[in-house]
Amino acid sequence: MLELKGVTRHFGGVRAVDGLDLLVPEGCIFGLIGPNGSGKSTTVNLITGLFPLTAGTILFRGERLDDLPTHRRLQKGIARTFQNIRLFGRLTVWQNLWVAQNSPEDRARRSFFARWLGGRRRARDEIAHLLEFSGLAHKADEFAANLSFGEQRRLELARALAARPRLLLLDEPAAGMNSEEIGQLRERILALRARGITILLIEHVMELVMGVTDRIAVLNFGQKIAEGSPAEIQADPVVRKAYLGGGAT
Amino acid sequence: MDAYAVSVLTNIGLLGFLALSAYLVLLAGEMSFGQQAFFGIGAYCGGMLTAMAGWPLPLAALAAMAAGAAAAVAVALPTLRLRGLYFAMATLAAAEMARIGFELLHWQVEVAGEPVGPDGTQGFRGIRWVFEAGLAPEGYAVLVWTALAAVTALLAVAERARLGATLRAVGEDPALAAALGLDVHRFKLGVIAASGGLAALGGVLFAHHNTYIEPRNFDVMLGVHGLAYALIGGLGTVFGALVGVALDVGLLEGVRVFQGYRMIVFGGLVALLLVLRPRGLLDEETVRWIGRRFS
Ligand SMILES: Nc1ncnc2c1ncn2[C@@H]1O[C@H](COP(=O)(O)OP(=O)(O)OP(=O)(O)O)[C@@H](O)[C@H]1O
Ligand SMILES: [Mg+2]
Repeated sequence: MLELKGVTRHFGGVRAVDGLDLLVPEGCIFGLIGPNGSGKSTTVNLITGLFPLTAGTILFRGERLDDLPTHRRLQKGIARTFQNIRLFGRLTVWQNLWVAQNSPEDRARRSFFARWLGGRRRARDEIAHLLEFSGLAHKADEFAANLSFGEQRRLELARALAARPRLLLLDEPAAGMNSEEIGQLRERILALRARGITILLIEHVMELVMGVTDRIAVLNFGQKIAEGSPAEIQADPVVRKAYLGGGAT
Repeated sequence: MDAYAVSVLTNIGLLGFLALSAYLVLLAGEMSFGQQAFFGIGAYCGGMLTAMAGWPLPLAALAAMAAGAAAAVAVALPTLRLRGLYFAMATLAAAEMARIGFELLHWQVEVAGEPVGPDGTQGFRGIRWVFEAGLAPEGYAVLVWTALAAVTALLAVAERARLGATLRAVGEDPALAAALGLDVHRFKLGVIAASGGLAALGGVLFAHHNTYIEPRNFDVMLGVHGLAYALIGGLGTVFGALVGVALDVGLLEGVRVFQGYRMIVFGGLVALLLVLRPRGLLDEETVRWIGRRFS
């Protein structure tokens, strides 16, 4: 589904991502872990095109991704959430979901005019469904800026789903959540996989990563130091030394 | 109604076009100090087409709008991708160039035995289509206000549609908008083209109201006023820009106390508002509050 070959990004002298090879098979939940500053978020930013690659190639469903501008990549059925929550604070919850409906299906199904000049009516059912899924139905007309932290996290996920993604990139979705909220998040992630969405999960919360992923890659200083099943990763001495044993949560 | 009142009313309507065009650009997250140039291009184009080429006003207005839109895109294309204040600076510079261009424009033709056309700093007189069509000043005021109402209604509908929400999104956080699959550059270009066309429409109607235009009409202060109207009135709804015009022209022009101090009061008002209500009187919160009251 997603393939990274020798992906590299330098910021000045910092090798944020350094020759990364990654193969995320269709339909799986793939974990990407590593210490702070190891290049996880940068990897997601490179896949979505926030900044260009220094070297390497990225393939999505066999097609080159890295020479497309950001919006074209996202239109191919990739969606993401941000480690530092990013919402349109001056739009309502409902509108935040509305503007995110840019999937190939949505674009093919409606004419240009219906898509841009159609009122709220047409999108109502789908957005109601998304609001339901993320427990935000009662906040539909609230400005996103006025939501609580947990609600904003849920809106980010709902917005990613509004794009009908085939591939979902989650950058630390559990950050700042309590264990009850993490439990709900876990259910949501599993429900998404059941719908056939491939997920790349970046997370420091090990109970979540080890519980839901099929396969995990470990980054350190921008390089992959290990890859395998959750059990293999937990047993790997190199990983324990660089990350798991190192006092990180 | 006396002639002066009719003329003031017409002028308020004309400024409305300028304010709306500034509002559109602000919605898309950019700031233009050059809308007066597109207003001027509209005035000159429209005036030349009716007075020199004998076109009817509606046709001349359409052509002038196209010219205004094209000019706006020409300024935006090379500068819009640059970050920060480049676009704002570019609009200011381009507008001054346009004004100097009007000063250098000498092109007169003989119409009914008289030379008609732009004569550099001497201005361009004899834009008499309205007079020749037998339209009274009152009739022309109605025409201007009907056009303004139609444009406002159109914008209000687009604003409530997905297009409007998307524009706000693009204006608030372009990088995020791109990460949702939106072509930010195209949206901004589209809005800027529309704003150029709208300003030009105001300019055409202005030229035919005054029958005489000169390069000085289209100086920076005109654009700054348009921008200020949109900022004062508020960015929460298209009606904000019109409220801004009404406040300045109605309150400051109307109330005698302010006479002579008008620019100081106006400048102070803008500064105060930018501090207290950075998104204007009718900002998003207020618009939602009003919407809830009446729904
Ligand atoms: N836009 C940028 N400009 C300069 N340096 C950057 C930029 N983005 C990331 N870096 C650097 O690249 C390195 C990797 O950062 P990245 O955010 O990818 O780490 P991470 O694995 O996501 O860490 P965390 O677990 O803290 O989120 C860091 O040294 C960071 O300072
Ligand atoms: Mg990170």
